[in-house]
This record gives sequence, C-alpha cells and structure tokens, in this order.
Amino acid sequence: MKRPKLLNSKNIAILVVLAIAIVLPLFLRTNQYVLFLATTVLLYAVLASAWNIIGGMAGQLDLGAAAYVGLGAFTTGTLLIRFNLTPWVGMFIGALLAMGIATLIGIPLFGFKVKEVWYALSSSALVEVFRAIFMMWNKVGGPTERYLPFSAEGPRSWYLMRFNTYVPYFYIMLALLVVVFIINHRIRYSKLGYSLLALGEDEDAVEVLGVDSRLCKLKALMIYSFVAGLVGGVYGCIYGYLHPSFFSTDMSLEVVILGIVGGMGVTYGPLLAAIFLVSFREYLRASLSGMFPGKGLEGLYLMVYALILIVVALFQPRGIAPLIKRGFLKLKSFVGVK
Amino acid sequence: MDTTSMLQVSNLTVQFGSLKAVNNVSFEIQRGEIFALIGPNGAGKTTAFNAISGLLFPQAGQIVFKGTDITKLMPHKRCKLGMARTFQVVRAFNYMTVEDVVRVGAYNRQGEDTVAAKVDQMIELCGLGEVRQRVCGDLGLATLRRVELARALATEPELLLLDESGAGLNTAELASFMDLLRKINREQNITLCIVEHLMQMVMGLSQRIVVLDSGEVIATGTPHEISNNQKVIEAYLGKRVTQC
Ligand SMILES: Nc1ncnc2c1ncn2[C@@H]1O[C@H](COP(=O)(O)OP(=O)(O)OP(=O)(O)O)[C@@H](O)[C@H]1O
Ligand SMILES: [Mg+2]
Repeated sequence: MKRPKLLNSKNIAILVVLAIAIVLPLFLRTNQYVLFLATTVLLYAVLASAWNIIGGMAGQLDLGAAAYVGLGAFTTGTLLIRFNLTPWVGMFIGALLAMGIATLIGIPLFGFKVKEVWYALSSSALVEVFRAIFMMWNKVGGPTERYLPFSAEGPRSWYLMRFNTYVPYFYIMLALLVVVFIINHRIRYSKLGYSLLALGEDEDAVEVLGVDSRLCKLKALMIYSFVAGLVGGVYGCIYGYLHPSFFSTDMSLEVVILGIVGGMGVTYGPLLAAIFLVSFREYLRASLSGMFPGKGLEGLYLMVYALILIVVALFQPRGIAPLIKRGFLKLKSFVGVK
Repeated sequence: MDTTSMLQVSNLTVQFGSLKAVNNVSFEIQRGEIFALIGPNGAGKTTAFNAISGLLFPQAGQIVFKGTDITKLMPHKRCKLGMARTFQVVRAFNYMTVEDVVRVGAYNRQGEDTVAAKVDQMIELCGLGEVRQRVCGDLGLATLRRVELARALATEPELLLLDESGAGLNTAELASFMDLLRKINREQNITLCIVEHLMQMVMGLSQRIVVLDSGEVIATGTPHEISNNQKVIEAYLGKRVTQC
C-alpha cells in the first residue's frame, strides 16, 4: 500500500478537531481548571501516541513511560535551577538523556530477547529504580520538592517556561501532539513501520525476512523515550517543581491503558482514549475526593481503568479506534462524500 | 570457492536436552537444483531447517552458504545473503494485509521508491491479486501458504527453504502449487530445498533427496534410487505404503 497522503479525509477530520482545539483556550481563558484538564488530556495523548510506536506497532508492552518523563523533567528542571538554562533547550537535552538511558537498557533487553511479561516487568522496574535513585540523590532530587524559578510576566516568564495560566502549556502540548502524529504517520508507512507491525506479531518469522528485529525495536524505543523525555521537560514546568514522585508507575500504566484502549497501532486512537479516559479520571478524582475528603480514594480511578480495559479486551481487542472508524465511514456514506 | 555449491551442511548436530534431534548430518545443495529433505515424523527436518535459517544454533557442525560460514550468523543476515524460508505451521501476520506482509519481505532488497513494484510483482506471481487487501487472519490455509511463499520470494533469495508447504492442500491446490515452485526454480533460478511428507510432491519435483530418520541421514540419492532403497522403504516408505 502506498503511503496515504497526509491530507486525506481522515486526517482532515483530525485537522478540524485540531482547529477546534486551537481556539478552545480562547473560550476557556477564564476557567483554569478546564484548561488544566485539557492540557493533561493532551499530555497523555502525546505519551500514548509515542507509546503506540513501541507498544502498538512493535507489540512491546512497555511500562517505562514515567521513567523517561521523570528523567526529562529532572534534567530540564535541574539545568534551569543550576545553570539558568531555558527549558526550551533543556527539554531537548532531557529528551536526549532519556533516549540514551533507554538505549542502554534496550540493547541488553532486546539482545537477550526479553519479551512479553518479562519486558513489561523490566520496563516497569525501571520507573521504581529511578524513583529510588532520585529519592536518595540529594544533589538533584531528594524527598522535598525543588521549586523551579518563577516569573509571572514578560519575556522572563517565557524564558523559564513558567506561566500563570495554562494556555501556553496547552499549545505546547498541542504542538507536541501534532509532531507525534506526523512521526507516527511517517513511521507507520515506512520500512520501519511495516517491520514493527510484523515483528509485533511474530519475531522469528520477521527475522527470516531480513528484518533486524532488535534494531527495529531499539529504534522504536528510542523515538518513544525521546518524546516522553520532551513531555517530561514541560511536565516539570507545568507543576513548577521537581519531585521523585514524577517517576510514577500509575502514569506508565495509564499511558499503556490509553494506548491499548485507543487501538493498537492506530495513530489517532490514543488521542480519543485520552479525551475520554483522562477527563473521566479527573472527574472521578474530583468527585471522589469531594465525597470522601482525605480518604485517599483518588487512586480508585485505576480500578475503573482496569474494568474498562477488561471490557475492551473482551469485546473490542483492537481498541475503540475501529469502532470510531466504522462510525466515521457510516457518517461519510450518509453525508454522501466519497 | 566452490561455485556450484549453494549450501554445505557438515556434521550438523542439534540437541534438545539429551535428545539429538539432528545428529551429525551432512549434505550439500547444488546451485539451481530442487533438493528434498524427507523422513518420518520427528526425524529432525524442521530442526535442521531452523539451524540452517538461524532460528536456533547447533551444538556442533558447520553451515556454509555460498562459500561463507554462516553457522553463527543472525537469521536476518542470512536473509540478506540470499536465504529465505517458509514455516511448516504457517506463521502469518494475522493483523496485516497480504500486500503489507509481502512488503515486509520486499524491503530486504528494495528501497521506498521501488518496493511497491516488487510487491505487485510477487503478488502477481503467486496469484494473490484478489486477496491483496485482505487481512491474513481472514484467509484460508492454501492462500496463506502462498502468502508465505510470496513474502519469502519478495526478499529475492537465491536459496529458498520450504517446510512442508504442500501440507494441508487438496489435490488441485497442490498441483498448482507445484507448478508455481517449478516456475520459480526455472525462471528465477532460485534453488529450492523442500521438506515434504507428500511423496507425490517430492518425487514429482526434486532432483536429489536426503532421507533423515531419528536425526540421522540414512540415504542420499535421486528419487529413483531413494524409492528403491531398502533402508528408506523400511524407515519411511514402508510405513506409508502399508498405511495406504
Ligand atoms: N524446541 C524443541 N524442544 C524440544 N524438542 C524438540 C523441539 N523441537 C523439536 N523437538 C524434537 O526434535 C525431534 C525432531 O523434530 P522436528 O520438528 O525437527 O521433526 P520433523 O522431521 O520436522 O517432523 P515433522 O515431520 O513432524 O514435522 C522431535 O522428536 C521433536 O519432538
Ligand atoms: Mg517438521
């Protein structure tokens, strides 16, 4: 199949959604909570779309997203605190570092053909290991929050990537999402994409077709960890501090769930899943902590996620994207567009 | 370097625990021929294929492909050198369309600008035009065998290893499959090594045969010689004949 044009009807639909997204903050300007929510949705959509490369296409159940997010955040933040380096540059250094660490871990993992459950556990352990390291490493981490410098207005605010509104963060995440979409689309219809899709199904069968499965998986891991590192850089600025709790297994898990529920290997699936699930999660979190204040029931959303995951696995193992696609096709034939 | 020799297997031994699935096996495949590896169930044919294609590494022995020692080479590098194979139990990529599957193989030698043409050519050759947009998970065995063949051929091999690729096909399907194999061998000058249970297919296709039994070579020769070999009749054909 030839690579579909970037501007086919499906992607035009995405563009329309994007256009709506772009003007959204203008209306929500006053409601910071909704803007924060929208930014969080986009943040998770970016992570889940990046995960789609290693998880959806290459079929590796990677649970390490938060490790790369944390590394990105700590690198960017520390460079800002110590060397007054702007996060606009720092986030790329953080992303490179995250990618470097991922490479160091990916080479032996893929080299020894660590797969499936073992890969999931190893990548998940990575998050915990980094949390422990940063908890003990007092020079950059430690148990107390390290606050990032702040300036409310003017160019200094831009230099620090610290704002008193979520609007800029929303646009940064939106831009990242567009970039990740393009990367996804490019990879999907390239040699790497076809190879990843095939090796996700059967590694031996793809090896004898001349595909270096280790190298392909490593490339996928590198792209994914780089994007997660970038997101991490912004994540730290959004929250305004650094803390080892950024290395959060819950976050990794959520990214995977979004990727799977959204539809393995489908570019726009994770965004759809993020829109529904992340806002649902935030709603649940807000209402639960409202109903039972101080009971720590906010974590309950993971249970609801698990239920949704089970339902999806049972009835819609390819995720919700095919459903939406069918609906979209119906709509198209209804409207009479070819 | 021996220019007529495609593959030399010397003293190959593969062990699973204490079981010697392939025991000190040696044979040679000549350039351009159709070579067959036969033997009763559990004789070690698939295991030998796995060692030759690199999916497992032998405990002893040497494999030389086109003059290069490939005993320790990774499978994808063997494919780059010009070796491809199919699987006894089809290993389709269930969620991919036929043309995408073939494309994975075609990338072995083609770049982005030429790969589509190669895919079209292979789909045409293997008669998959009608199902090219279909997802492999929806296809029947006979079609999947062709898909496996197409994706292996798309890598542009010089040596193609076919593991019981006639198994599960009906007479008509088998006949057209054999025609296809002959065509590939003759027109594209691809050396074939077939593993087969179906004597009809082996006798009809191959020029030379090696017979394995319990991991060991018990006979080598032309189809005529093999069908008159007492040892083979006892170990293999005999059982078949009485069964029929
Ligand atoms: N991965 C494995 N682990 C342990 N034993 C194995 C393994 N693969 C094959 N064997 C054993 O090795 C022997 C040879 O098996 P192999 O599959 O090579 O036979 P075959 O000649 O291909 O038989 P068939 O005609 O049934 O395909 C058998 O006894 C089998 O049980
Ligand atoms: Mg076999």
